[in-house]
Amino acid sequence: MNTTISTSERVRLTGIRKRYSTGDTAVDALRGVSLNVAAGELVALTGPSGSGKSTLLNICGLIDHQDEGERFLAGIAINGMAEKQLTDLRREKVGFVFQNFNLVPVMNVHDNVEYPLLLLGVSAAERRERVQQALMRVGIEPYASRLPDALSGGQRQRVAIARALIKVPHLVIADEPTANLDSVTAAQIVDLLRQLASEQGSAVVVATHDHRMADHCDRVVQLVDGEMQ
Amino acid sequence: MKWLLFAWKNVLRNRRRALLALLIIAVGTAAGLIGGGFALFTYESLAEMTARDTGHVVVGHSAYFDDDEELPMQNGLSGAGKLTEKFAEMPGVRAVVPRLQFSGLISNGDKSTIFVGTGVDPESEFRLRGPQMTFVSGEVLSSPSPSVPEVVIGHELAKLMKAKPGSSLTLLATTTEGNLNAVDVTVKGIISVGVPDIDKRLVLTALPAAQKLLLTDKVSTLSLYIKDIDQTDTLLAQVKAAEPQLAAKTWLDLAVFYQSVKELYNRIFGILGAIMVVIILFAMINTLGMAVVERTREIGTLRAIGSQPGEIVRNFVLEGLVIGFGGALLGMIMALATTVFLMFANLQMPPPPGRSTGYALLVNYSTPLYLGATLAVLLVSGVAAWLVSAKAARKPITEALAHV
Repeated sequence: MNTTISTSERVRLTGIRKRYSTGDTAVDALRGVSLNVAAGELVALTGPSGSGKSTLLNICGLIDHQDEGERFLAGIAINGMAEKQLTDLRREKVGFVFQNFNLVPVMNVHDNVEYPLLLLGVSAAERRERVQQALMRVGIEPYASRLPDALSGGQRQRVAIARALIKVPHLVIADEPTANLDSVTAAQIVDLLRQLASEQGSAVVVATHDHRMADHCDRVVQLVDGEMQ
Repeated sequence: MKWLLFAWKNVLRNRRRALLALLIIAVGTAAGLIGGGFALFTYESLAEMTARDTGHVVVGHSAYFDDDEELPMQNGLSGAGKLTEKFAEMPGVRAVVPRLQFSGLISNGDKSTIFVGTGVDPESEFRLRGPQMTFVSGEVLSSPSPSVPEVVIGHELAKLMKAKPGSSLTLLATTTEGNLNAVDVTVKGIISVGVPDIDKRLVLTALPAAQKLLLTDKVSTLSLYIKDIDQTDTLLAQVKAAEPQLAAKTWLDLAVFYQSVKELYNRIFGILGAIMVVIILFAMINTLGMAVVERTREIGTLRAIGSQPGEIVRNFVLEGLVIGFGGALLGMIMALATTVFLMFANLQMPPPPGRSTGYALLVNYSTPLYLGATLAVLLVSGVAAWLVSAKAARKPITEALAHV
């Protein structure tokens, strides 16, 4: 089958199905979901708990596998790829922002943000420069030497955003990035995510319950019982 | 370097747990090094003692070492004088000592008993073997030999013969022609070599007296002494090349006791070392296993970001190596401190079975032993880290991220 991918298209999911089995019980988490996300686009996945948001997000971010359907990241067909290739793709093209920030507690802010560049083998001088820029852009440069435990929730999420975006990824996956933040900080984080993604041309897919966040997104995809509404 | 620093920081994450593992490794390493050092000291002492006793290389008639003699000195060595001069010129040789082994009956006029005698060159014999002989009373044999031959006898034999320095005894032995011959001797000294069974039979006399008793001009062996025991094989090759018709053996070939002790100690300390390895392995598995469980979500995060499972495992292996190296270093310091302490403490070990004297409790320092122990600890630590982290690093990322 020939598939034409637009050059600005970062993600294409077609007919994605995912089923979880527990003993004799099987649950269809996703039932033929299709989704395209363009460069610089911010897409919100909303829906009640158990609707399949996280599953779709994980499949989108290459950390889970679908049972049926096709997926493409930056024009690259993902189906049939080995785990090592998937990891290499994530390393190069996918950034993650987690609800609980998931910063490495023994690394200071600088080292947390630098980590993806270390994996990519970027030289020390370039790493230093890019980390400094990233910290400036998210407004936490003064806290570069602090450990995550010494930061507020909003500051930690800024660090997480800097870590996700420092490698200029094709796709950013954000799972409930504002869930643990107050409304003012949440709005700042959404604006920051949107602005940086737009500047870098990264596609952003956000799973959220937060309507305020969804309102700031370019597009809202509603999932109910594993199907797009 | 970044990864090593990362590992160091992770080790410090739970200091008490890391410290406990480090102390277990340190004690295990120190125990291994002290045990190994004691074994090395024992081997070295025994080797030195054996070489002093027999000579570094012993030369005899071609049949001397393998065949039984029908008559005394049948396989004796002729022309010992010329051979002595020839061997003495070989590089590194510091003494060539003739010995004549014989046996017979010793009598004080009232009672007789069996003796095992050696005809020796008094000057070189007591100089070389002196440290192994403790004079209970009397002195070394006179040189040159007086008209009435002198003997130095073991103190258990002296007790049996009720002899003391100046006492007269009679030696009775079979001559090279198969006849009995006797010679009156004067006790010059009474010694102990630390082995009661030997002290009960030991008789040393000057070589001419022994030759006169046996009616021979031969010697049993020539013992060659060198300064450096490690040059023994070189000397053996030179002797064999110079006198191919003679038989020559090294001290190691003749040291049955040394070899059996070494074999026994190797097994004992080998088992001890294996136990230490298992203890270190368990300590590391426990410490790092708990760290892996606690950091499962972090592992999932790093995997999502793009770390390969091998890179996750590498991080834990580095943590294991950091703890292992720290423990090995502390263990080496503890072992060195013990080694130095024992040098000054002058502690004595009790006499081993079959001996009447104890020996110094000392522990040798050996660079290869210390390096080997460090490498072993690092290997065990690395293997333990690999064992506990390999599975976690391959856990599905979504499961790892959901770990609480």
